[in-house]
Amino acid sequence: MTPVDLSVELGGLLLPNPILTASGTFGYGLEFGHLADLEALGGIVTKGLSLEPRLGNPGPRICETRGGVLNSIGLQNIGIEAFLSDYVAGLRQYPAQVIVNLFGETAEEYRKLSTRVRDVPEIAAVELNVSCPNVERGGIEFGHDPKRLEDLVASVRDSTDKPLIVKLSPNVTSPVALAEACQRGGADILSCINTVMGMAIDHRSRKPLLHTVRGGLSGPAIKPIALRIVFDVAREVDLPVIGIGGVEAVEDVVEFLLAGASAVQVGTLLFREPNAPRRLVKELGDYLAEAGLDGVASLIGAIDLDGTTLG
Amino acid sequence: MLLCGRMEDIQGSVVAVHRRPHSYFRLRLHVTATFADAEPGQFVMVQVGHCLEPFLRRAFSIHDVSRGEGQDVHIDLLGKEIGRGTSLLGQSRAGDVLRILGPLGHGFQMKEHSRVALVAGGVGSAPLLLLARRLLDRGRTFDFFYGGRSQSDLSRRELFARLTEESGGELIGTTEDGSFGETGLITVPLERRLVRGTYDFVYGCGPMPLLAALANLCSRCGIDGEAALETPMGCGYGACLGCAVPRLDGSFALCCKQGPVFRFDEVRW
Repeated sequence: MTPVDLSVELGGLLLPNPILTASGTFGYGLEFGHLADLEALGGIVTKGLSLEPRLGNPGPRICETRGGVLNSIGLQNIGIEAFLSDYVAGLRQYPAQVIVNLFGETAEEYRKLSTRVRDVPEIAAVELNVSCPNVERGGIEFGHDPKRLEDLVASVRDSTDKPLIVKLSPNVTSPVALAEACQRGGADILSCINTVMGMAIDHRSRKPLLHTVRGGLSGPAIKPIALRIVFDVAREVDLPVIGIGGVEAVEDVVEFLLAGASAVQVGTLLFREPNAPRRLVKELGDYLAEAGLDGVASLIGAIDLDGTTLG
Repeated sequence: MLLCGRMEDIQGSVVAVHRRPHSYFRLRLHVTATFADAEPGQFVMVQVGHCLEPFLRRAFSIHDVSRGEGQDVHIDLLGKEIGRGTSLLGQSRAGDVLRILGPLGHGFQMKEHSRVALVAGGVGSAPLLLLARRLLDRGRTFDFFYGGRSQSDLSRRELFARLTEESGGELIGTTEDGSFGETGLITVPLERRLVRGTYDFVYGCGPMPLLAALANLCSRCGIDGEAALETPMGCGYGACLGCAVPRLDGSFALCCKQGPVFRFDEVRW
């Protein structure tokens, strides 16, 4: 039997396989090489990077809920310059595509960031974080307003030839409207979804479990939400989609592909299983081989809607 | 760049479970040779079950390290059943296999001090057993201050007392209900000795209010010390950035990587 080819091409980005690490769940890629086989990854999306380092929010920043994790990290990061000087060269040796997740408080900051990485050959693509629920300024201000989002994407688009990914928020009435705005602005790929706004309270102390009270929910608890948004966006918008939200097993990966995603990002799972991507890549190969498929392309958007009525 | 020391993600098997009254338990796990070099204060992340709740692993101090048959290495974890994760772990059985990530973080520093105090609040005594053994190995004398609500909270009190005596020191206990030792908080007898200049270093582990009081006491007496902190933790290996500990300079340290042991004068309590 010939080995299954797991590579995928989406929006100008060629990935050795469709399993990526999600932003904010795997640092800057290199730190965990002793725990995870970086060779196995299709891509690494960095922690959200800003022009200047950010300290992040006070603790508690994280708590577990049923089947999920609430966080309010507040975009603690080392800043774009430290990433470029300390990490980029080390990432060169891996087949994984390096995608920088960029965060700005203003459109100008986003543009400066994308311009800064424009000529860095190790960086394969840019993902705009316009959906972090845990910071006061920037990000979500753009991600919830179609007109502002379109202008932001257009401005960044002008500054770089690299594939441009926009990571969408689920905390809106119509993710499709925002996805369409991204398309008008010139985005190449959409990643769906960022965390879902939530909160948790300890009934004994009567206190919220996060310092910022509200936070972003991730993990298996949000998978149905993510799947629905991937499905809607992939149907309505003519851009490739990366699915994110609660991937744990190969079945989850396949379901995101069926809903219309061309690749998936794995996030919260890494906290409990640092080497999960390697397992998923292997399981995906086995799954395709067993199904007699020679690649992932035939699964993308292949949901069988016969006999259903879209509700 | 932050690169961790030696750590492994392994399958460990439960060798024995000792269940104690009031939800305390001690678990002995068969692990790899890497763990034989664990420093006192380091910890492990344990995957409990394969279900959605608990989804994340649970953090436990390495309570003890010992040799089994042949080259086998065992670690002990000391815990109290509080939530679903700890309850499931406390109810595990010999032969169960658990995923264990460790040893994680930085442990207590071992400098040449003449006499030190070990201060434990309840199950915060967990990392101090390995510390006591290592101090004993180096022929150092320590006193052990052990506080809890009631005597049942002073897990492994006899063992701690024996090791302390072997070192030439003394175990001093306090309970809030008076069931063992002096009635009240452990900081009271500690302060009496600290002000006399008995110690030149203090090691602590326990609830945050105790550690904050310790830091304050040591600062007033001009004595250095370290505490092993516990914060909510997502991954234990530096990926999630969830376990922020506020530093005096206004920045945040990650409890799992820069800690869990911090100098008293490093943390904004």
